[in-house]
Amino acid sequence: MRLTFTLFALLAVAVVYADKASEPPSQLAELLSADAEGYAKAIEPREFVFPDDHGPHPDFRNEWWYVTGNLDDKDGRRFGFELTIFRFALAPTKPESESLWRTNQVYIAHLAVTDADEERFFVAQRYARGALGLAGAQARPFRVWADDWFIAEEPGGAWRLVADDGDFAVDVTLRAQKPPVLNGADGLSQKSSQPGNASYYYSITRLQTEGRIRVYGREHEVSGMSWLDREWSTSALADDQVGWDWFALQLADGSDLMFYGLRLTDGTQDPHSGGTFIGADGAATHLDQEDVEVTVLDTWDSPEGGTYPSRWAVTVPRFGLDVTVTPVIANQELFTTVRYWEGAVDVEGSRHGERISGRGYVELTGYAQ
Amino acid sequence: MIPVTYRASFSYLLRHPWQLVLSLLGIVIGVAVIVAVDLANSSARKAFLLSMDAITGEATHQVVGGPNGVSEDVYRSLRTEAGLTRIAPVIDGAATSDGLSLQLLGIDLFAEQSVRSFTGDAQDISSLFVSFLVEPGAVTASEQTAQELGLEIGDRFELFSSGRQHTATLVATFAADDSLDRVLVADVATAQEWLDLVGWLSRIDVRIEDGDTATLERFERALGPGTQLLSASGRTRSTAEMSQAFMTNLTAMSLLALLVGLFLIFNSVNFSVLQRRGLIGVLRALGLTRRQLLTMVLVEAAAVGLVAAIAGVLFGAVLGEQLLELVSRTINDLYFRVNVTEVSVSAFSVAKGIVAGVGAALLAAAVPAIEATSYEPRLALTRSVLERRTRHVLPIVTATGIAGMVAAIALILVSGTSLVAGLSAVFLLILGFALCVPLFVRAVSTLIAPLAGKLGGTSARMAVAGIASGLSRTGIAIVALAVALSATIGISVMVDSFRGSVNAWLQQTLQADIYTGTIREGSMEPELIAAIRAIDGVVDMSTRKRATVEDASGRTQLRVFELPPQSYDGAELIDAEPAPAWQAWESEDAVFVSEPYAYQHAVGAGDVITLPTDRGPRQFDVAATFQSYDINAKGIMMSRATYARHFDDDTIDSLGIYLAAGVDVDAVIREVERLSKDTQSLYINSNAGLRKESMRIFDRTFVITDVLYWLTLGVAFIGILSAMLALQLERARETATLRALGMTPGQVGGMITAQTGVIGLLSGIAAIPLGIVMAYVLIKVINRRAFGWQIDMTVAPDILAVSVIFAIGAAMLAGLYPAWRAGRSQPAIAMREE
Repeated sequence: MRLTFTLFALLAVAVVYADKASEPPSQLAELLSADAEGYAKAIEPREFVFPDDHGPHPDFRNEWWYVTGNLDDKDGRRFGFELTIFRFALAPTKPESESLWRTNQVYIAHLAVTDADEERFFVAQRYARGALGLAGAQARPFRVWADDWFIAEEPGGAWRLVADDGDFAVDVTLRAQKPPVLNGADGLSQKSSQPGNASYYYSITRLQTEGRIRVYGREHEVSGMSWLDREWSTSALADDQVGWDWFALQLADGSDLMFYGLRLTDGTQDPHSGGTFIGADGAATHLDQEDVEVTVLDTWDSPEGGTYPSRWAVTVPRFGLDVTVTPVIANQELFTTVRYWEGAVDVEGSRHGERISGRGYVELTGYAQ
Repeated sequence: MIPVTYRASFSYLLRHPWQLVLSLLGIVIGVAVIVAVDLANSSARKAFLLSMDAITGEATHQVVGGPNGVSEDVYRSLRTEAGLTRIAPVIDGAATSDGLSLQLLGIDLFAEQSVRSFTGDAQDISSLFVSFLVEPGAVTASEQTAQELGLEIGDRFELFSSGRQHTATLVATFAADDSLDRVLVADVATAQEWLDLVGWLSRIDVRIEDGDTATLERFERALGPGTQLLSASGRTRSTAEMSQAFMTNLTAMSLLALLVGLFLIFNSVNFSVLQRRGLIGVLRALGLTRRQLLTMVLVEAAAVGLVAAIAGVLFGAVLGEQLLELVSRTINDLYFRVNVTEVSVSAFSVAKGIVAGVGAALLAAAVPAIEATSYEPRLALTRSVLERRTRHVLPIVTATGIAGMVAAIALILVSGTSLVAGLSAVFLLILGFALCVPLFVRAVSTLIAPLAGKLGGTSARMAVAGIASGLSRTGIAIVALAVALSATIGISVMVDSFRGSVNAWLQQTLQADIYTGTIREGSMEPELIAAIRAIDGVVDMSTRKRATVEDASGRTQLRVFELPPQSYDGAELIDAEPAPAWQAWESEDAVFVSEPYAYQHAVGAGDVITLPTDRGPRQFDVAATFQSYDINAKGIMMSRATYARHFDDDTIDSLGIYLAAGVDVDAVIREVERLSKDTQSLYINSNAGLRKESMRIFDRTFVITDVLYWLTLGVAFIGILSAMLALQLERARETATLRALGMTPGQVGGMITAQTGVIGLLSGIAAIPLGIVMAYVLIKVINRRAFGWQIDMTVAPDILAVSVIFAIGAAMLAGLYPAWRAGRSQPAIAMREE
C-alpha cells in the first residue's frame, strides 16, 4: 500500500542529481499522473498465480517488493529491518536497441535497520536501471535485486535476503508460515473512486526469519518474523489525498492485521482506506474503512521538521481487537532524498478481553516535505 | 646627486629616441615570444587538464581493459557480485557534427552521482532523466557547446561516428565552464550504439577514499586478468606527458628569441654607455662613485627592460592567441584531443616574461656597466682607447667561448637521455660560439680589407677595415645576426633532414596500392571488407587494427597487422635478420618494437617485454626493432595471429589493398567508394595520395617552428639596424671629415652600405658552422631524446646559401637609414660638435 511512494521514489532519483535544485521537479509528478497511456492498469480482479506473481509485471508502471521484520539476537537485543525494492517503468515499452543497457525499467532499493537498544536507525539506498543484470526481477527462480542487494529463492524454497551497506547489513533467510493473502477485492485494491486507480496487492504476513544483522562492525545472530508486501499498479494518489498510515501487525495469537488509512487534504480519512485480517489458520477477511478505528495518542517532532504521529490506539471490533501500537524508538525516519517514516513497533492490548501482545511495522507518508 | 644623474640618463634616452626604441624592441619581441609560447603551452595543457578533471570528476581510479575497453560484464559483476557501488561506466569516443569534432561521452545517470555530475545544473532534471534512458539519440551538452552547434533544446541534429550517421536530439543543456566544450553526453546505451561499442565500456570510473586499502583489495580480487585498476590522476598525467617533449622544444625555441634579444640589449646599453663616456667622466669628476655609476647604468637598463617587458607581455598575449591555434592543432594531430580556444593568461606566465625581460636587460647591461666604472674621472675616453680595450679582452672572450663549447659537448656526453640537459647544451654551444665570433670578424675583416681596397678602392677598404676597428659594436651586431641565422640553419637542416627521412620511410612503408579504413575511430564492417576483397583486380590485402593497451606504466600502441609476405619490405628492421625475425613475428609470441619504443624502454631484438593482454600480463619476445616516425612513440607491431591468441578482438580498422599489375587504381577507388557509400563512410586513398597527406600533416606540424624562426630573425634584423645606426651616429665626425675631404653623400652612403653588407656576409659565414653543428645536435641529441627518432642528416646547400643571402640583404637593408642619414649630415656642424 505505497502507491504514491513510487512517485517519491522516482523523485528521489531525480533529486539526487539536481544537487543545486532546491525543489523537486513538479513536472515529474505531472509526467507520471498525466501520461499513464500505454501502461496496463488494475481494473478487474485477476487470478494470482504463484510463484509467477512474485516476479515482475513490467507492463504496469509501479511495483514493489517490501519486506519488514522484527528480530532479536541471542542476548535479546532487538532489531528491526526494512528492505524495499521498487520497480517503475519510464515508458510503456522497452526501446529497441542492440545495447543491453537500453531499458524503460528502473529499480530503487531502500534498506533500513533499527537498533532498538542503541536507539540507532540506519538507512541506505540503491538505484539502478533494470538492464544488463544491474537490477531486475524474475519469477523462476524468484529473484529481485538492485546492485548486490537481493531477495532470492534458495534451493528448497526458502528466500534469502541480503543487503550490505558497509556500515550495516542484513543477511537473513525467510520461510513463509502462511500462504499469500490477497488484499482488497481478491487482490484488487481500489485506491480511489476512479477506475484503474487501483493496484494488485498481496502479502505474506508471516515469514519465519533467521540470519545475521551487522551494526557497528559486529555480527548478530538474529531470528524473528518478517512480512512481505507486494503491489503493482499504474495509479497515483488522487488530488485530494495527501498520504497514508499503514499498519502491519503480527499478534502473539498467530493472527495478523494489515490496515491502511488514506488521509485527505481536509484531514479526514478516505473511504477507500481498508485492510485485511488474517487468522492464525491463514484465513483472510477484508476490512473496510469503518471496520478499523485508529486514534493517534502521541506525536513525534522530526529534528528535520515535520510532526509524525507516534503512538496509536487501534481497534477492530469485528475481531475483538483493542491494542496500543508504540514505536520501539521514535526516530525511524528515512532520510533518503524523500522523507518518510517506516519503523518497528510494539503492540500491547487485548483481544476478546484477553491480554495480547505483538510486533509490527508502521509506515507514515506525507507528514514532512 | 642621484636625481641629477637619473635625470641625465633619462634625458639622454629621450634625446636618442631611435636607440631607445631599438633597445626596447629587442626585449619586447624576445619577451613576447617567450610569453606567447608559454601561454600557448600552458593554455593547451590547462585546457586538457581541466577537461580531464571535468570528465573524471571525483573519480580517483579507473578500471581499464584491453583494446576494446572493459567488458560491460565486468561492470555488472563489480556492482552486483562484489558490491562495489562507487563506480560509474564511461564510454568515450569521437564524433563530428556539422564539421565540428566532438567528444562523445556515454554515462549512466544512476551511477554518476558517486563520481561526478554533468547534469547538476540542467534545468529540467526529471524529464532529462526519462528521455536519457528511454529516448534513443538523446544527448545533453554545455550551453556553449549547444550554442556553437546552433542548437536549441529539443532540436534534432545529425552526428557522425564510426563512419555512420546518427540522429541526435538535444534534450537538455547544462551550465559549465569551457572544460566541457565540444563534449556531448549521452546514455551508455546511446553511446554504445553510435560508437560501435555494444558490450563494451571505455573504462569504469571509480572513487576510493584515500587510504581505503580494503576497497582497493576488493577491486584487486574482483577484477579479472584482462582488466586493471589504475590511478586516474596518473592516467591523466601520462597522457599530458606525451606532449611534454613537444612543449619543451617550443619553450627552448622561445628562449632562443630572447637570447638573440639579449645581444641586442647588450649592444644598445653598451653603445649608450660609450656615447656618454664624456658625461660619465664629468660625473665621476664631480664625485659620483663607481658604485653609484654602476647603479645608474643598471637602473637605466632595468627601467628600459621593465617598460619593454610590459609591452612584451602585452604583445605576447596577442601573439599567444595565434600560437595557441598552431600548438593545439599540433597536439591534436599528434597526441591527444584538446579543445582550447582561448588563451588563459596566468600571472605566472606574465611574471616569467617580466623577469626574463628585466633580467635580460640587466644581464646585457652588466658588462658595459662594469666597463663604465673603469673610466677614469675627467678622462673622456677616446675611441682608440676603447677599441684597444676591446682588443685586449678579445683573447679572454674567445677562450671563454671555446670553454663554453667544450662544456656543451661534455654536457651532451654525460647527460644521458635528459632533454632539458640537451637543450641547455645547445644554448651553451650558441653562447660559446657567439663569444668566438668577434675574433673571427677581426681576423677576416683585417684579412680581406686590402682585398676590398683592390677591388673597390679606398672607401671599400675603409668600410671593411672599419668593421674591425669598430669591433666593440660591429662584433655584437654580427654575433646577434649570426646566432639568429645559425638557429635558422640548424632548424631548417633538421626539419629538412627529418622531412627527407619521413618521406623515404613512407615510400618504403606504404606498399599497398590503395589504403582505406575508418575515420579516426571504429572498425570496418566485416561484410564491407569481404566485398572489397572481391573487387576485380584486387590480388591481396593487408589488414590493420590500432589497439591501445594500458597498464600502470602507461599506454602502449599496438599496430596489429595481417600482412601478405610481399609487404615485409615495408618495415625496415634495424637490428635483426629479416627472415628469422618475420618468421618469429608471424608464428610465435614475438613482436617488433618501433625505434622510439626501443629507445624509451632501452630494449631491442632478443629482449623480452611484458604487455597487458585480455588474459593478463604476458611476455613477448622482441624479434626486431623497426624504423618508425610514428609520433605515438610507444608503437609495437604485432601479427594478427599473435593478437588473436591474446585478445578477444577480431575487428579491423583499415586495409591495404594490393592490385594486379595494370589495374586502374582510380577505378578500384571508385568501386570502394561505391561499396561503402551506403554502409560506412571511409577514408580511401591511393598510395601516392596517402603519402602526400602524411607529408601535409608533417609540414603543418612544423609551421609553428617556422613562425618562431621568423620572429627570431626579426629580432636579429633590429639588432643589425640598431648597431649600424649607433655606429654611424658615433662616427658622425669621421663621416663629416670624409665629406669635408670631398666624399659625396653618395660615396659615404655607399661606403656604409658596403660595410653593412660585409657585416651581413660575415654573419652569414659565421652562422654556417654553428648552424650545422646545431642541426647535428638537434637531430642526434634533441630529437632522439625528445621523440626517439633516428634521422639521417642531410645538409641542403640551398639552405646555407639562402641564409647567407638573407644575412647580407638584411644587413644592407638595416644599413640604408644610417647611410642616408650620414650622407645628409652637414660636415661643418658635425665636425664642430666635438
